[in-house]
Amino acid sequence: MDTKDTNTDLNSPGAVVPDAAPSPMQTELAIEGGEEVPILGGQEKEQKKSPTPFQDSLRRLRRDKRAMVSLGIMIFFILLPIFGPLIYTHIGGTVVSPTSGTISPAAYHSPFHVELDSQDQGPSAQYWLGTDAVGRDLFARLMQGLLISISVALAVEVVDVLLGITIGVLAGFYGGWIDQLLARFTDIMFAFPGLLFAILLTGIFGYQADTIFSKIPIIGANGNARLILVSLALAMTTWPLMARYVRGQTLQLKEQQFVEAARTSGTSNTQIISRHIVPNLFSIVIIAATLNISGTIIGEAGLSFLGLGVQPPGSSLGLMINDALDLTQTHPWEVLLPSIVLTIIVLALSFLGDGLRDAFDPRSKD
Amino acid sequence: MLQFLLKRLIGLIFVVLCVTFITFILGYLAPGDPIKTLLGSHFDPITYAQLRHQYGLDLPWYQQYYNFLVGLFHFDFGYSFHYQGRAVLDILSSGLPISLELGVWGLFLTILIGIPIGIFAALRANTWVDTATMGASLVLYALPTFVLAVFVQVLIVSIDGGTGVNWPVAGWGNNWQYTWSDIQFKLAPILVYAAISFAYFARLSRTTMLEVLRQDYVRTARAKGLRERVVIYKHAFRNAMIPLVTVFGLFLGLLVIGVFFIERIFNIPGIGATAIQAISDRDYPVIQATAVLGAVAVVLGNLISDLLYTVVDPRIKAE
Repeated sequence: MDTKDTNTDLNSPGAVVPDAAPSPMQTELAIEGGEEVPILGGQEKEQKKSPTPFQDSLRRLRRDKRAMVSLGIMIFFILLPIFGPLIYTHIGGTVVSPTSGTISPAAYHSPFHVELDSQDQGPSAQYWLGTDAVGRDLFARLMQGLLISISVALAVEVVDVLLGITIGVLAGFYGGWIDQLLARFTDIMFAFPGLLFAILLTGIFGYQADTIFSKIPIIGANGNARLILVSLALAMTTWPLMARYVRGQTLQLKEQQFVEAARTSGTSNTQIISRHIVPNLFSIVIIAATLNISGTIIGEAGLSFLGLGVQPPGSSLGLMINDALDLTQTHPWEVLLPSIVLTIIVLALSFLGDGLRDAFDPRSKD
Repeated sequence: MLQFLLKRLIGLIFVVLCVTFITFILGYLAPGDPIKTLLGSHFDPITYAQLRHQYGLDLPWYQQYYNFLVGLFHFDFGYSFHYQGRAVLDILSSGLPISLELGVWGLFLTILIGIPIGIFAALRANTWVDTATMGASLVLYALPTFVLAVFVQVLIVSIDGGTGVNWPVAGWGNNWQYTWSDIQFKLAPILVYAAISFAYFARLSRTTMLEVLRQDYVRTARAKGLRERVVIYKHAFRNAMIPLVTVFGLFLGLLVIGVFFIERIFNIPGIGATAIQAISDRDYPVIQATAVLGAVAVVLGNLISDLLYTVVDPRIKAE
């Protein structure tokens, strides 16, 4: 989407982005481009300064305070579990514990280290957010849980976006049996509520997944083996919706002038798809993916809460809630901590998604 | 209209077939030999073969699927793998009315609280009432059921602790009975359970109502001097219902899922709780039956929403 393209503007995907309001000048060029060629040359200088629709949308997003705060919160919650443990395991001196002898912060700040003589403690200098019912550090477990949420969300989103775009574009562009298949598939998925399918799948194959995937280093360690199955289940239930959005957008794009122009100038279908359709799906995919990440994080937490996701001694926001559920009367903090963090994440993602939609798809606003 | 309904009905039958097939095939492919597990140390080849035959596990998969389907029509979900000789329906039967009660209340509140709130907010668009209710419903809708339930439970427990009231946070009371002690058990779970979908319905009905109020026919109705109440309830409301009816089926899905979490958190002995227990027992027929029941509930909901659609949108009848 370079401004250099203005001369061949009918072919350029940046010219008529149906989703973002084009600046008046570009609309004019797109519509009357053919006749206005002489004037266009004269306006070249001015043209270079006018922002592309994408930059326009970014500017709108930056002005949306709620969305920017939410973005900041999300970045914090992404960086915390990645870099937090590296620092946290080096803070504090060695401690003599009756059960495990002399231990360094690398041990007692580990999310899996059980310290039976310091159960259910409140926040302190040694345990910043306190400990759980078996004396594990809650801050460390929270960071580990966040890491799980993010990893699952990332894995699911990669599958969701790839499958959603591929199937959605094929269905929208070519129609025919692939379109029919997608329609039937989404029908089934609507009848089979996503999480119910995930419960069924993880409920039946959970134990097998534990034994198979636990052999994989890092991913399979610490009770996380089943997450591969969880991610698979969540991805399978989310991509049809993404494909539906993409299909709808592709149907619209197909009728646009720049696609028609590309076709008349002999561009092949593959090239039309890769150069003119897919780049224009950006906004709808990013909006749908942001809103979907929230669903995925809830899904993973929910499955882990029901005992179908991360297995002990692993940690996940859902598992933390489940572990502390019997302690609501005596130690409400332990159940509130993961719940509040999950609430903040879900709300931030929802505000960010709304902000993205307002910025990239202004027409959807009332 | 008949053609529309027939087309939808065929679509739904197809969906039911697929959903039952998915459920069946997952159970069919399930790892481990349930009969071996059942027999444990009492294993001997003759009983093993007998039991396999009794459970129909020696048949080829398509015959097993056929039996599975025929069974479903008779509310026969087969036999439990975990409790020898107990029918799945027998295991689910104590929980079924409880979950059903929860579901009916959830649906009832979604419609009876969600829609009026949305219309109320739409009629006071851009006032503080509107902002407050919509803000609250946005938060309610975004929150997962189990997190909301945890917050409510902690709140109740702390109120109990502070005032000495003994408001329960676990259990259910008697099915379909509403004495004061039953209400104490049921109020919080039902409200939390319904919160997500009525919050969404409130937002949706506000949007559609606002849209309808901008239409020409509403302006015409006002111009010819109809009372505001008639304009809103006779002209606007019915049109605003159309999009609500279409998402109705979708929301049954949310309610079905909610059962698992609400029952776990509030210790309610419904089928959601039974299914979670069955998962740790690896009692696949029970898990399958719960999934099928949930999916069929959603399909039925879609059918109802199609029927309602013909009521609220007369254009379909004309076609």
